[in-house]
Amino acid sequence: MKWIPTCRETTKLASRAMDERLPFADRMAMRLHLAICENCTRFNRQLQEMRRLFRSETAADDNAPGLAPEARQRIATEVQNKLGS
Amino acid sequence: MNMLDARTWLADHGDYLFRVARRQLHSDELAEDAVQETLLAAIEAQARYAGDASPRTWLTGILKHKIVDLIRRQMREAEIPREEDGEEAVDSLFKQDGHWAEPLRPWGNPQTEAELSQLRRVLDECADRLKPVMAQVFSLREVAGLETEEICKELNITPTNCWVLLHRARLFMRQCLELNGFSKAGAA
Repeated sequence: MKWIPTCRETTKLASRAMDERLPFADRMAMRLHLAICENCTRFNRQLQEMRRLFRSETAADDNAPGLAPEARQRIATEVQNKLGS
Repeated sequence: MNMLDARTWLADHGDYLFRVARRQLHSDELAEDAVQETLLAAIEAQARYAGDASPRTWLTGILKHKIVDLIRRQMREAEIPREEDGEEAVDSLFKQDGHWAEPLRPWGNPQTEAELSQLRRVLDECADRLKPVMAQVFSLREVAGLETEEICKELNITPTNCWVLLHRARLFMRQCLELNGFSKAGAA
């Protein structure tokens, strides 16, 4: 039955659905597949979970390394030059 | 009214700006460039600072543009992956008939701050492993939250190319996360 997409095709639809509203036919096709496929349902949920984790962590993860001393020095010099000019 | 003093920016916000940039550029060097260009641009733009945002917020706004500039510049030098390239890597995830080659394992449901912080590290490490342009398009979308339309326009790539890159990036990310400790007994 061609109108039910394969898993591979469904991942494409699920990914695109993360970026824009799918055309009606694609949305229905994806829904049909998800209704019968545990793996793709999981895939779809994990895409959303991944986004949630990426966006919730705000960039201020203070445990991540900061500027290396050499880089800091280099940038300080550039800033000095700019301020002095 | 917040006061601006360009001499303290690097000390006060340098690490913060670097971390934000590093997560989207996936390269120390590029992230350092982004911080430097942001501070230099901010010095020039000081007069236009309205004072209603905190200096950090204001600087972060400038940084966003610098990040896109740097990715655009990098794309001019690096080769943009063509649509048909890299499809073999996707092939290995699926069987001939289009079914998943391996069943997907469920992810755990992290609750404690320590667990979450561990997952964040894995997320960033996996994203670092994506191919350069793919990693950056992925981060502009998933980390910075830009719309695909904006990404296409800024980086001058077609929407189709953008979707192909994002689709692959998501497939690889998911697999990398599963292999590196995301899957545990539990929901999701």
